[in-house]
Amino acid sequence: MGFIRSAFFDFSRNKGRTFLTSLGILIGVLAVVLLTAFGLGLKATIEKQFEDLGTNIIRIVPGQILKNGNFSNTSSAFTSIKFDEKDVQKLSRIRKIENIVPVYSKTVTATVGNIKKPSTLYASTAGIFTALNIKADYGKLFTESDINKRSKVIVIGPNLAKDLFISEKKAVGKSVKFEGHKYTVIGVASKKGGGFGGPDFDSFTYMPYKTAYTFNTNKTFMAIILQTKEDQDIKPVIRQVEKQLLKRYEEEEFSVIQQEELLSAINSIFSIVNTVLVAIAAISLIVGGVGIMNIMYVTVTERIKEIGIRRALGARKSDILFQFLVASVILSLIGGFAGLGLSTIIVFFIQPYFPAYINVESVLLAIGVSSGIGVIFGVFPAKKAADLSPIDAIRYE
Amino acid sequence: MITLKNIYKEYPIDGEDVFVALHDISLTIKRGEFSSLIGPSGSGKSTLMHIIGLLDKPTRGDILIEGKNILEHNDDKLSSLRNEFVGFVFQQFNLINKLTILENILLPTTYTRKKLAYDPTKKAMEIMDRFGIASKANSYPNRISGGQQQRVAIARSLIMSPSLILADEPTGNLDSKTGKEIMKLLAQLNKEDTITVLIVTHEQAIAQQTQRKIHIIDGGIIV
Repeated sequence: MGFIRSAFFDFSRNKGRTFLTSLGILIGVLAVVLLTAFGLGLKATIEKQFEDLGTNIIRIVPGQILKNGNFSNTSSAFTSIKFDEKDVQKLSRIRKIENIVPVYSKTVTATVGNIKKPSTLYASTAGIFTALNIKADYGKLFTESDINKRSKVIVIGPNLAKDLFISEKKAVGKSVKFEGHKYTVIGVASKKGGGFGGPDFDSFTYMPYKTAYTFNTNKTFMAIILQTKEDQDIKPVIRQVEKQLLKRYEEEEFSVIQQEELLSAINSIFSIVNTVLVAIAAISLIVGGVGIMNIMYVTVTERIKEIGIRRALGARKSDILFQFLVASVILSLIGGFAGLGLSTIIVFFIQPYFPAYINVESVLLAIGVSSGIGVIFGVFPAKKAADLSPIDAIRYE
Repeated sequence: MITLKNIYKEYPIDGEDVFVALHDISLTIKRGEFSSLIGPSGSGKSTLMHIIGLLDKPTRGDILIEGKNILEHNDDKLSSLRNEFVGFVFQQFNLINKLTILENILLPTTYTRKKLAYDPTKKAMEIMDRFGIASKANSYPNRISGGQQQRVAIARSLIMSPSLILADEPTGNLDSKTGKEIMKLLAQLNKEDTITVLIVTHEQAIAQQTQRKIHIIDGGIIV
C-alpha cells in the first residue's frame, strides 16, 4: 500500500483531528491568497485607469514628487510653489505640446436641496476632457467660450449625478450649490470607473478654471497636465518643459512626471504594502505548521509498533522518514487546497463589488507553501520515527 | 549459514551497572535446520533471536552470515539483509490492521531495492492458496481468526524467499489445535522448501517437534 493511501487512511480515521490540524494552514493560505487577490485587483484597476488616460500625458506638479523612480520622502513635495496662468502661457510656446491643461483641485460639498455629497472639483480648461478622455453622456461639455465668459456651469460625473438627482438624465439643466454659489449642470460625463485607491472620476465635478477664480482667489493651479501627440517621443518634450520651468523655479520646486513613471512609482509602493500584508498573513501559516508538527509527533507515538513492524520487515530509516514526511505534506496540502478553494469562492462572490482576482502564481504559491510547510514541520517528527530502534518499536504496546 | 561468535549483550542500568542479557554465546545454525531455542522467561532467548534476526546488535562478538561479518554493515545494509535474508513470525502476529491481508503479505516487497524475479502479487496469492487463506486476501487482519492471522504472518515471512525463518513463540497466542497446525506448517516449509527455521519457545512440547533444541538459561547456552 502506498504511503499516500496509508496517510489518507489515517486521516479518514481521525477526521476531526485532521480538520483541526489543517485549519491552521487553511486560514493562513486563505489570508495570503485573499490579500494577494485584493492587491492584484487594486493594481489592475489603477493600471487600467492610467492606460485609459494614454501614455502621451505629462504632469507638472509642485515639489519633488519622484526621486530615482520612487516617491520622494522629502517635505518639498508638500511645501512648494503653485503654478499660474503665466506658466501656462510659457509652456504653450513649446511646439510639440498639443493640449495644456491647468488644474485647480478642491474637495467640495455639492448641495442640492437637502442632499449633500462630497466631490472633487477640477477647475480647468476644456482640454481636460481630451486629456482624461471624458465625453458627455447627457448634455454637453463646457468650452473655451464658457471659460472666457466665466460661465457658472459645471460638468459632473455620473455617480454624483445619480447621488444628487437620482437619474443622470435629470441632472442636466439643474443647479448645484457649493462654495456659496449656484452652478448649472450642463453635462454628465461618461462612466470611467475608478475608486479603490485611484481617483473616482465618476464622482468628480469639472468647472471652467476662470469661473473657479471666485473661490480660487490666488488664481493658482495645483498641477498642469500636458498632452503630446500619440506617436510623439515624450522625452525631448519633457526636457523642453523642464528648461522652460527652470527659468522661473528651482529644480526641486517642481516635478515633470511621465505617466509611466508615476505608474511605476505607485506600483512600487503597492508592491511593498502588499508584501508586508502578505508577510503578516504568512505568520498564521507558521502557526499552522506548528500544529502539523504537534499532530505528527502524536501520530508517530501512535504508530511506534507499526514502525517497528515495518523496520523488522526491511524498511530503511529513509523509508520511514519518507512515509511520515508524505503524511505531513498531505495534511498540509489538505489545508492548502481547502484555503485555496475557500479563497476562490470568496473572490467569486466579492468580484461584483471589488476588483479582486486570483492568478496562477497565487495558486502555485499556495500549493508550494503548503507543501513546504508540510516538509519543514514534518521533518522532525519523521526523523524521530525513522530513528526509533526497531527492537524498542516492535516491543512498544 | 549463520554463525554467532562470543556474543555478549549488555544493558546499562543506573549509570555504571550493567545487566548482562547474553554472555559468550557461540552458535552455528546450518542451512536447512529445523531447530528451537528453548528457555524460561527472562532467559535471553528473545534477545538472542533479535540479534540473529539483525533487529538488534550485540555489545560484543561477531555474527557471520555466509562467512561475512555483518556487524560491519551500516543500518541500510542491515535493513536490506533483514528484508531478503530473514522472515519473522511473531507471537502477536504483528500484522498492520489498516492493510488488507494481501497488502500485509506484500509489505516486505515494497522495501526491497532489488528487482524481484517474480510477480509478488502472484506469489502472494500462491502462498495464500497453499495456506488456505486465499479467500481472505482482501479482508483486514482484525476480521480473521488468530490461526489465520498467524498463517498470514508466515505467508508474509515467505514472500521475499528468505533463507531463515525466525518464529518467536509462534503458537503462544493460539489454541492447541491451531498451534499444532502452525507447527506442522513450519515443519512443512523446512522439509519441502528447505527453509531454515528457528523457533523460539518456552514450551518443551513445541521444542520436541524440532530436530535440534538449543537451551538457553540466564543468557547462556547449555550445550
